[in-house]
Amino acid sequence: MSRAAQGLRAWLLQRFTAVYLAVYLLAVLLVYLTRGDWDYAAWHGWMGEPLMGVATILFSLSVLLHVWVGVRDVLIDYIHAAWLRLMFMAGTALLLLASLLWIARALGLAALASPG
Amino acid sequence: MVKQQAAPKFLNLLAIRLPPGGIASIGHRISGVLMFLSIPLFAWLFGLSLESEPGFQQAVAYLHATPFRLLSLALVWSLSHHLLAGVRHLLLDIDVGVTKGSARNSARVVNFGAVLLAAAYAVSLL
Repeated sequence: MSRAAQGLRAWLLQRFTAVYLAVYLLAVLLVYLTRGDWDYAAWHGWMGEPLMGVATILFSLSVLLHVWVGVRDVLIDYIHAAWLRLMFMAGTALLLLASLLWIARALGLAALASPG
Repeated sequence: MVKQQAAPKFLNLLAIRLPPGGIASIGHRISGVLMFLSIPLFAWLFGLSLESEPGFQQAVAYLHATPFRLLSLALVWSLSHHLLAGVRHLLLDIDVGVTKGSARNSARVVNFGAVLLAAAYAVSLL
């Protein structure tokens, strides 16, 4: 992809992820509020469902991409020393990847656990 | 000959009067950064809540603790503002509400809407 198209790619990515993030959040909030009595079995069972697991991994991945584009824009605007900006971007990547993997681990364990 | 006025070079934040669109924009940034910084905490809490029954109880206890409730209030404002400002942004992208007047009004809806939602959440915590 050309250098100019990279900007377009980030722009499009930000919008596609934004729509998915909004839809997921509103849907999950609706389910959460509709069902009032959350205990461990209900919560664990919900997150262990295949559909919910896939939707939540997709959500986490969307957050990662969305935050990466957003934080990169903010860093480019405010941090002008290239080496320092690179440090911040590396830190951001580390933080996002570690969080994503931690969530994937939790979802995987929940999916593997026998129900009940 | 008309003397050109020098552009003011200062960053007195109290002297800057942002229009509604400017407030919506800087709020979009601040809310995004706040949510970004809270991600590791939520990833950890999410893992804790799923790993075992005692872990779940502990996560619930953390969620109900006062420091977390204060944080959650900031994050509810952040999410509300970011979501509303994001929807406004997407609408502007497809040329909805791009006239000066309507863009100003939608920015006001974003700014006040987010504060209103946060206030409603604060009341629900009492």
